[in-house]
Amino acid sequence: MLDQIKQHVENLKRMGATYVDTRWYPFEESNSLVMWNGNLKDATLSRESGLGIRVLYKGAWGFSASSDTGDLPGLYTRAFDNARIAAQRITLPVRLAEKDAIQARFESPNRINPMTVPLGEKVAFLQQMDGKLNQPGILQRVAALNFVRKQIIFVDSEGSEIEKQITEVFVQLNVMGVDAQGQMHERSFTLGQDGKDSRGWESVDPILFNETAERLVQELGEILVAEPCPKDLRSVILLPGQMHLQTHETIGHALELDRILGYELAFAGGSFVTLDDFGKLRYGSEKLTARADATLTNSPGSFGYDDDGVLAQNNLLIDKGILVGAITGRQMVEEANAKAKRQIFDGSGGANRATAFYRVPIERMTNINIDPGTDGTLEDIIAKTEKGLVMDSPRSWSIGSNREQFHFATEIAWLVEDGVKKQVVKNPTYMGKTLEFYNSLSAVGDASTWKVEFVNNCGKGQPNQIMQLGHGVPVCRFDAVRVGE
Amino acid sequence: MSAHQKDRIIDTLQALRAYALEKIAGRRLEIGLYYHEEDSYLMRFANSAISLNTNEHLIRLDIDAVEGRKRASYALITDLNKLDEMKHGVDTAIELVQHAQPLNYDPSIPRYRESFSDESCFEPALAEISNEERLAFFNQAVAGLETAELKASGIFSNGSTTIAMLYTTSEHSQFFRHSDAQVITVLAHSELKWEVIAEASAQRKADLDAAKLHRELATLVRLYQETPAQQLPLGKYDIVFGPAAIAEMASIMRWIGFNGGSMKRGFSFLSEAQLGQKVLSAQVNLSDDPSYRETFPFQRDYYGMKRDGFSIFKQGVFQGFTWTQDDADEFQVQPTGHTISHASLVLQGGGQAVASLQELLAMPRERDLLYIPFLHYMNIVNPSKGVITASSRFGALLLKADGSVGIPYNVRLTQSLLDVFGDKVAWLSKQTEAYNLSASYGRRNPMAMLTPLYMRVNDLEISHSNTSY
Repeated sequence: MLDQIKQHVENLKRMGATYVDTRWYPFEESNSLVMWNGNLKDATLSRESGLGIRVLYKGAWGFSASSDTGDLPGLYTRAFDNARIAAQRITLPVRLAEKDAIQARFESPNRINPMTVPLGEKVAFLQQMDGKLNQPGILQRVAALNFVRKQIIFVDSEGSEIEKQITEVFVQLNVMGVDAQGQMHERSFTLGQDGKDSRGWESVDPILFNETAERLVQELGEILVAEPCPKDLRSVILLPGQMHLQTHETIGHALELDRILGYELAFAGGSFVTLDDFGKLRYGSEKLTARADATLTNSPGSFGYDDDGVLAQNNLLIDKGILVGAITGRQMVEEANAKAKRQIFDGSGGANRATAFYRVPIERMTNINIDPGTDGTLEDIIAKTEKGLVMDSPRSWSIGSNREQFHFATEIAWLVEDGVKKQVVKNPTYMGKTLEFYNSLSAVGDASTWKVEFVNNCGKGQPNQIMQLGHGVPVCRFDAVRVGE
Repeated sequence: MSAHQKDRIIDTLQALRAYALEKIAGRRLEIGLYYHEEDSYLMRFANSAISLNTNEHLIRLDIDAVEGRKRASYALITDLNKLDEMKHGVDTAIELVQHAQPLNYDPSIPRYRESFSDESCFEPALAEISNEERLAFFNQAVAGLETAELKASGIFSNGSTTIAMLYTTSEHSQFFRHSDAQVITVLAHSELKWEVIAEASAQRKADLDAAKLHRELATLVRLYQETPAQQLPLGKYDIVFGPAAIAEMASIMRWIGFNGGSMKRGFSFLSEAQLGQKVLSAQVNLSDDPSYRETFPFQRDYYGMKRDGFSIFKQGVFQGFTWTQDDADEFQVQPTGHTISHASLVLQGGGQAVASLQELLAMPRERDLLYIPFLHYMNIVNPSKGVITASSRFGALLLKADGSVGIPYNVRLTQSLLDVFGDKVAWLSKQTEAYNLSASYGRRNPMAMLTPLYMRVNDLEISHSNTSY
């Protein structure tokens, strides 16, 4: 198969293609198990395989994909024809940043392949969690396991040949209850890195989950009898369970270079960031340093090599509050440098990824992290907060089309008054303008508060793609934020 | 797809059924086969160029095994030449179900009494539009409107979806095939960052009208080029929503409104006590009506239940929850034929004669009206109260009482659907159109809702107002 792929890649080169690559998935297996109120509602195993072919011809992309490997010549021809038609409407011919030809192999760290764990053992874990969550006052309880294991073989016309074996584990617990006014509230937990250096079945740690289940039930009980969130201006202290999504939506998406260059305007939206802003824009206070780090051990945002065949990297995005970088692949850095008429980017940031063999790679977040700060522990930050809310876990999120403003609701919040964390309030929300918000960043927790959270459902692109990634973030405090609306 | 190809699909499923029957002989076990084939084409535009031109041909097979109260599934992407791989899938599903945990209710299993085939919503001419035609259509829609600063983007997505189902409970099968197209055209200013949109949904090729898209874009571009933008003061506005905004808000009620399973699980702003009660404006008539081909309808649900028109709100009075078979089994109610990948939502037009953006602009108005055609990034803040939040996008206008038109920066609305569709509704337009709600996150599932072109709602508050785009 590999020899046939290489031969077809060469054939298209001879036909005039300037670049060709193929991602061959010999297999992608996934296993989804959902237990809802004690019922195993979903027990699905799935398997797929196929090829995706990307062709660059006269500065335009064509793509074709199929699970049917019986007609490879036809598949490559369709990709080439798609590029040939696309070349009839180009404004700036696609150029790809230089990269090395790489022969390599990557395997995400795991000790126990979750696909080999007997179904009975997985169901027993869910039953155990269901039992822990089945407590008075809990109306709905959900425990869910999702595993993915896939092999990807990447071959391009520049001499790269990369094999990746990716293993992903996602686990979620959720409890819901209704308060005296008939309103539903929830508490949830999604497994992150949680101190583990690998993400096989071994990352499903019963001790962690037992403790977490008890905490969720207790916190939901507090929410159900809580007073409503106040409606005013105050500090918000975001725990990693919320800070990761704040980072995701208003730093991550805002700094995807394809969005900045207008490639998502018909769907996901653009960005308030312009090419002139790099090196100059004060994105946040001096306490804010953000990076795209695909080299973290154990995170879905770490993948060895991206789908351009570029080595994973750790790149600064925001340095002490100043915008310095973006989330990039090979195509966009060339286009950005050309449009800016200056060298903003030295090369690809290694962040071009596709969700499946039948989707084309686009700029995706890797691990978009905030560096730990020097403002101590969570308790230290609370102690120095006069009037605030400690907030955790997203309940809803809605962001402006250029990522310029946002509205979040969280599952839980605790009042802070005169340096003391007090009672829980319900239906907490906050909203703001992105730059104003990050420039109000007044405290960043130390390494003890830093946690890598996993995201299993980042959507972008047309055709749409769901991507997995991570965010390593500390506790952060922002001042003068509108809450309760 | 030829008749031969249809026969090949059914024959393959029958061969698999025969294999499954052998495997389950003597056991209280049933196997379901769900076949999904998509032939998808998508031309994507950005910065006035084709940024991607793609096609995918994918065949998925879901194999469900049900043994008493135990249930498990195996899903694969495959092709019709791989019968052995599919048989292995049957084996795997049978193996899986042995390890599943019993439900605390009895799940129903489809038992088709007759074979059913519906290809009335399939038109080869639409499904097989060529690359050249896609490009020509887009070029016509934006002709003469692009400039050095004003860039065109969008998509032309079309294709076909074939679904076939067969169970070991019966030799009868169900077969559905749809053709669909979704066109989005956007013109965005690269410096000022304003953006306007025109969209189309098609079930037949004749539904596509590039000239209509061009007219809408040209009108909006002229207004945006002539008029400086302004930040709106926070406060209450009389808002006219366009079809995209109406469809997004109405369709989210599928999750937090009239879905019976959601209601039982506490995710709904509607309760059983509200059945027969007036909940929304008397002008609101919402139904699930598969007689409208524009909604890519299913005449039968996946359990073989015949789908007739199903009234959800009649003159604002709540008529009934929709129930999937699984939720009906769990909560011991009657299913309503909603075990389906999408309903055919129809919000009937009202009494206001306004049939185009040009007519809306020309309408006399006693107060300023904020026109919001599109809501970006809608999310549910509080399902129990039906509170959603979203921002305006793509061509909002301030229609001033003096007849002039202003351009507002985007604003945020955080509102209850009970207010948006409640007594604050001033009018709905007579004219309706199909708004395409398709998303391509997973398998192709063309979806559209029939909605009034415009709906005016008075006294809605905006909670945030941008100072720029």
